[in-house]
Amino acid sequence: MAVRRTKKNRAPTRAEKAKAAASKKKDLRAFVSEAEGILESLLEDLSVLQDQGSLDSPFDPDLVNRIFRSAHSLKGLAGMFEMEAMGRLAHHLEDILDGFRLGRVNADSPVIKLLDGGVALLVSILSHVEAGEGETDEDIVATNGFIQQIEEAVAASIPPPSDDLDAFDIDPTVLRALTEYEEHRLHENIRKGREIALVDSNFDMASFEDGLSDLSAAVREVGEVISTLPSQGAAPESQIRFSLLVAMDINVERLGERLEQPDTEIRLIRAAQSGKSDSSESVAGDSLGLSEEVIKQSGKTAEPRQFESLRSIGDTIRVDVRKLDELMNLVGELVIQRNAIGDIVGKLSSDPATARTGAGLGKIHFALKRKLKELQAGVLDVRMVPMRQIFERLSRVVRRLRRDLGKDVELEFSGSETELDKLIVENLVDPLVHLVRNSFDHAIETPAQRVAAGKPTAGKICIRAMQRGNHVVIEVEDDGRGMDTEAILATAREQGLIVDSEDLSRRDLLNLVFEPGFSTRDEVSSTSGRGVGMDVVRSNLSSMGGSVELSSTAGRGTTVTMRLPITLAIMQALIVSVGDERYAIPIASVLETLVVEPGDIGRSEGQELLNLRGEPLLVKRLAEELEVESASRDNRQFAVVVGVGERRLCLLVDRLLGQQDAVIKPIKGPLQDIPGIAGAAELGDQNAILVIDVSAITAEVSRRQDAA
Amino acid sequence: MSESNTLDSHSNVTAPTPDWLGMARSASAALNVSAADDCGELLRELLVIGLAGNPYAIAVERVREIVRVRPLTRIPRSPDWLLGVVALRGEVVEVVDLCSRLGIEAGEDNRSRRIIVLHGDGNRVTGVMVDSVSDVYRVNEDDILPSDGFDLSAVVEMCRRGNQFISILDLDRVLGFVDD
Repeated sequence: MAVRRTKKNRAPTRAEKAKAAASKKKDLRAFVSEAEGILESLLEDLSVLQDQGSLDSPFDPDLVNRIFRSAHSLKGLAGMFEMEAMGRLAHHLEDILDGFRLGRVNADSPVIKLLDGGVALLVSILSHVEAGEGETDEDIVATNGFIQQIEEAVAASIPPPSDDLDAFDIDPTVLRALTEYEEHRLHENIRKGREIALVDSNFDMASFEDGLSDLSAAVREVGEVISTLPSQGAAPESQIRFSLLVAMDINVERLGERLEQPDTEIRLIRAAQSGKSDSSESVAGDSLGLSEEVIKQSGKTAEPRQFESLRSIGDTIRVDVRKLDELMNLVGELVIQRNAIGDIVGKLSSDPATARTGAGLGKIHFALKRKLKELQAGVLDVRMVPMRQIFERLSRVVRRLRRDLGKDVELEFSGSETELDKLIVENLVDPLVHLVRNSFDHAIETPAQRVAAGKPTAGKICIRAMQRGNHVVIEVEDDGRGMDTEAILATAREQGLIVDSEDLSRRDLLNLVFEPGFSTRDEVSSTSGRGVGMDVVRSNLSSMGGSVELSSTAGRGTTVTMRLPITLAIMQALIVSVGDERYAIPIASVLETLVVEPGDIGRSEGQELLNLRGEPLLVKRLAEELEVESASRDNRQFAVVVGVGERRLCLLVDRLLGQQDAVIKPIKGPLQDIPGIAGAAELGDQNAILVIDVSAITAEVSRRQDAA
Repeated sequence: MSESNTLDSHSNVTAPTPDWLGMARSASAALNVSAADDCGELLRELLVIGLAGNPYAIAVERVREIVRVRPLTRIPRSPDWLLGVVALRGEVVEVVDLCSRLGIEAGEDNRSRRIIVLHGDGNRVTGVMVDSVSDVYRVNEDDILPSDGFDLSAVVEMCRRGNQFISILDLDRVLGFVDD
């Protein structure tokens, strides 16, 4: 006893304190990430709910339930981490939502309008917690004020009239088993005039969960499962019987045809009311429980249908993205080691004395390569997130802009299921917000100007994402005033970005806005219709191995097209040599490679051109572009045809050394930006190899081209 | 001796000529990290290196690691003082030729050459190639003298060791982490 007490009372050692602090910090991170997840889905669901409300369509009960559960989990989570204000706020939101889903609160009640604000307040408190400030005093004051608002709104709202279920002739044993929520749903469905039925079915004990979820899914296609109850009816040995109280838009016969579960009985409880009357009085007593049609479907042995599994919702876990980064790094290092083994295999195999060992190791290397590829694909797949995540954030930005600027702009998304690496998605948010903000601020005219130009008053910004091979293409299109090329030209001259004699194509002229230093002045942004910082957009994209282009029609609008690799983590690279050095060219930008004899290259107006299946292609020597020594220009060389967006270019190199997986690393040191080089990669032999920035080189070449 | 006192005494050293003001910042940054020893005297720890046969010194706390010379990958279209990049455990770091950056004649390429990996601001790192690395020299702060560095603007201080004078390099100036 005494020993135990001393142990308990002993002051914690420094190490213990540090450990406690570290675990607290880690816990806090877990809390923030979990809470962020919940709030994100809450925001998303609430915006859907608002859309439903504005469309005057009935609310999806599953959606309302999901929102309720989110608020509930957030309350629990906040309680666990002693976030007092967040907990109280979540509790009040949960109360409102509970009332809403039980029909005690009307959808048009002022209380529902408070939900948005409540979630916004939670988000702001969470940001303070994340910043390590905890719940600030202001947070608590704001929370108290908000809760008071809720209470006032609750007091002011009138509860909707409730009906008496006894008016409907439903089996009292069933009725007694219903929860308050289920009762409310029954009310709702009766009020809507839907057909109510009881579906009894036997399931094998061993697999009843699957059978039940299949059956529920089948019902959900045509209606709603109000309640799932263990049935009183006797079930055969090793089977279990369930009754589903269902409401649907089709009649029972049709439901019977749809269900493929054997041993299923469907009893009609209340036939559909064609008038879909809103008043429960007029339909009461009509044909309730009068007909007890029984449709037997025993012994039918159809293949179980493929329904979307309901259980998958509970099978997801949230993972800290840093853990994934660590895994990805490990995989990257394994790939490098594997490349090193490949080198050894090559050396062993080329020497007759060790060729047999080489072949043996080669086999293992091959198997390792295949498994590593699977591992890589698996880890990459885990990192993939849908564009929807960005789109949701953009909607919020636009909602705020709409409020702040008083412009009416519609945001339209497509391709929200297009998947991208989480890292890229994170890095893409800022450029996209920037572009949307630009369109909003500068490109979209005022309503009066729009009407004068014969456009609808509301502006439109479309954001489209689509996958194209190993790339994702994202377009941001607005129907604003377009860009003034004259103003761009004037600014570019004024800022010394181009010399007067340069005659640029329209496309290159537009793309001048991506030049660093362009349009850093306010008056430029107002004339060009573009804000500051487009160079930042481009450098953001380049750092991810992507590119950006712009097209615009005066008076009609502007489209910015971005191309990004699906993942950054591992890149397939073509290794080439020029002189003594090796370089890596991202495979994603390589269209093809071919052998070129000196005679294959033609000349026209001082340009070297290659005839590629009838199409003249500009030829550039990588050695000259990089200003390094080439082996020889008279010998046979290799051509690497690269393409960025619309532009294509043929790069001549001395030799092709093969294709390898590479991990691009930024180059650290005093030289901040190395033109033409995107970074460096480490290959199996521990040497750094420079990665060619194809988009920078093509842009440079094309600019020189136009200037010439 | 308290920290603020040492800072004051330091600014007494640097205040008289206006030319010193720009350098005071980096010098005082080096002061902040140097620790007082048990006797209460302020010591500065310097890594002594050799460049073209002459001793130079850099602040020890800026040194991340010292590695043997390994194959360098040249960077096209880069200035002469940039020797290239090396891969260091998953990091790719530029290596600067310290002699060429300082504008002194390069020493002979011999086996004592090393790459010193230095910390810059934040997580910036850079490598510098030196002809040799000798040792860490602990010198009393009072024994550090201002220097006009002959014609080397990157040398702002020096110290005496026996009958030798060691030039202390201001790394921010050398490497251009602080804009010229």
